[in-house]
Amino acid sequence: MTTQTQVAHKPVTKTRRSRNLKEYVTGWSFVAAPMSLFAVLSIGILFYAIYISRYDWGLLGARKYLGWQNFSDSFKDPVFLKAIRNSLLYAALVVPLQTALGLTLALLVNSKIKGSNFFRATFYFPSMASSAAITTLFILLMTPDGLFNKILHFFGVNIGNLFNQGQWLSDSRTALYSVIMLNAWTTSGTMMLFYLANLQGIDGTYEEVAKTDGANRWQILRYITLPLLKPAHFFVITTGMIGALQLYDQAILAGGADGSPNYSLMTMVLYIYNACFRQFKFGYGAAIGLELFVLIFSLTLAQRFLFGSRAWKGDN
Amino acid sequence: MEGRQLKIKIGKFLLLGALISYSLVSFIPFFWSISTSFKTESEVFLNHLLPQHLNTDAYVHIATKITPTLYTLFFNSLFIAVVVVILHLILGSTAGYAFARLRFPGRDILFYMVLATMMIPDQLRVVPVYILLVKMGLISAHPSNYLAIFLLKAVGALDIFLFRQYFLNIPKELEDAARIDGAGPIQMFTKIMLPNALPIIATVSILTFQGSWNDLFWPSIILQAPNHWTLPFGILEFQGQFQTDWPPMMALVVLSTLPILLIYLFAQKFIINMQLGSAVKQ
Repeated sequence: MTTQTQVAHKPVTKTRRSRNLKEYVTGWSFVAAPMSLFAVLSIGILFYAIYISRYDWGLLGARKYLGWQNFSDSFKDPVFLKAIRNSLLYAALVVPLQTALGLTLALLVNSKIKGSNFFRATFYFPSMASSAAITTLFILLMTPDGLFNKILHFFGVNIGNLFNQGQWLSDSRTALYSVIMLNAWTTSGTMMLFYLANLQGIDGTYEEVAKTDGANRWQILRYITLPLLKPAHFFVITTGMIGALQLYDQAILAGGADGSPNYSLMTMVLYIYNACFRQFKFGYGAAIGLELFVLIFSLTLAQRFLFGSRAWKGDN
Repeated sequence: MEGRQLKIKIGKFLLLGALISYSLVSFIPFFWSISTSFKTESEVFLNHLLPQHLNTDAYVHIATKITPTLYTLFFNSLFIAVVVVILHLILGSTAGYAFARLRFPGRDILFYMVLATMMIPDQLRVVPVYILLVKMGLISAHPSNYLAIFLLKAVGALDIFLFRQYFLNIPKELEDAARIDGAGPIQMFTKIMLPNALPIIATVSILTFQGSWNDLFWPSIILQAPNHWTLPFGILEFQGQFQTDWPPMMALVVLSTLPILLIYLFAQKFIINMQLGSAVKQ
């Protein structure tokens, strides 16, 4: 009996072992290329950034070790302080706006009204076009003689009497707010889709029960729907904030590399661009990049803390 | 009862009003770019809804008078997007399959590593990546400059995630049948998994194509010679040159958005559903 089972058993283990080995090798070779790219260009590169940030690192010539001086220098530059202020102000305003707009659009489109598919498609379209195309179009719309002022005029606003004379993008007091308006509009479509996905995942019986208990629409929204959307809020706000702190495209398109007028469109990423590709101070640029990373990372952790760890995992 | 019905009707009316007004907000700017591209320069700020004549000078201008040529910009955008899509499909599907279906030591740690890379913003990587690429000799006016872009964009963590998610949901029975027939992991991938993965292949292709086609950040930093520029980079550069010559600028905006618009029109339902799908899975 024992010999029989052994005899019957042995070839199985052998094929299983060789099959396992074959699976290991296939598995490793299938992930080898992407993992080595990640290891070098995403993870290893972080350590390289830390290394570079501690040097006076030009494109050519000798490098001088500076220690933490690049980091301390950055906070002495008023343009950098302005860039931080702009990036934070931009994020603080654009994130709530795009979230509120995205949520409102999702709630409107989610109602059982005729043509809701058409509206959904229309609202999403601005999120598909390129930032270069949309920002250029936006600059045309916002020029003093452009359509935006024409519409204001139509509604009885006297452009000449406005504090900025209708110079939305070329007045340093309104340039950043104009870009906020632009990006709240373009990103709201994506945010709408995230909310829609979560709305469609909500079990309808909650609302039914609330209805039979006599709750009105507003109460259902306030006490049932919005709390159930908590994972979506977390996702939309976190990704929105990470994106907002990386503002670059719209800033350089509308304000050039200096974030004109008067650095009102200078952002942290645009500042990195200037440090590296106009002044060739790569060590300094790397230091700013790390500061940005620390900022993004700590704000993400703070949000995770604020929303509780369960929202992070995506369950409710 | 009457009052209640009236209330519902008013509510529907208000809802429809809100929806229509916001679709105007979404739609009019694009309409405006098309309309402006057919106007003459002096006509632009009359701000008429439609051009007085269908004037195609702006299109002739950008087709014949810009350097790098319109053809060059289109070709570069398309060439880069197509190569990046192919790389994403190959690397994403194979890695996604391995993470979903194969057992090998280190699998879970490696997958966490993939997820962790999604937390690192591109803008943090720009300085060390640029220096690395300079050292590799890939930052130059030579066509090998394209390689720098391909190397950076070859792999996407999100694609691996999406492919893995998709392969996890393919029924095990399909594999079992093939396994009895003696198929190994590679045949399993090519004969069972890939033919069943067309929806996710389409999803990743569209998302990647759109991402590459629209990208301004990396091309504006990496591409050196004007004849390697992409459309968004071209738009950025021309903006300074054209100044107030808006019709050609808008013609360029319209033409550069056209491929995305076409993809959107043909695959609109699909794009929205797949975006919904990937959003749920996140």
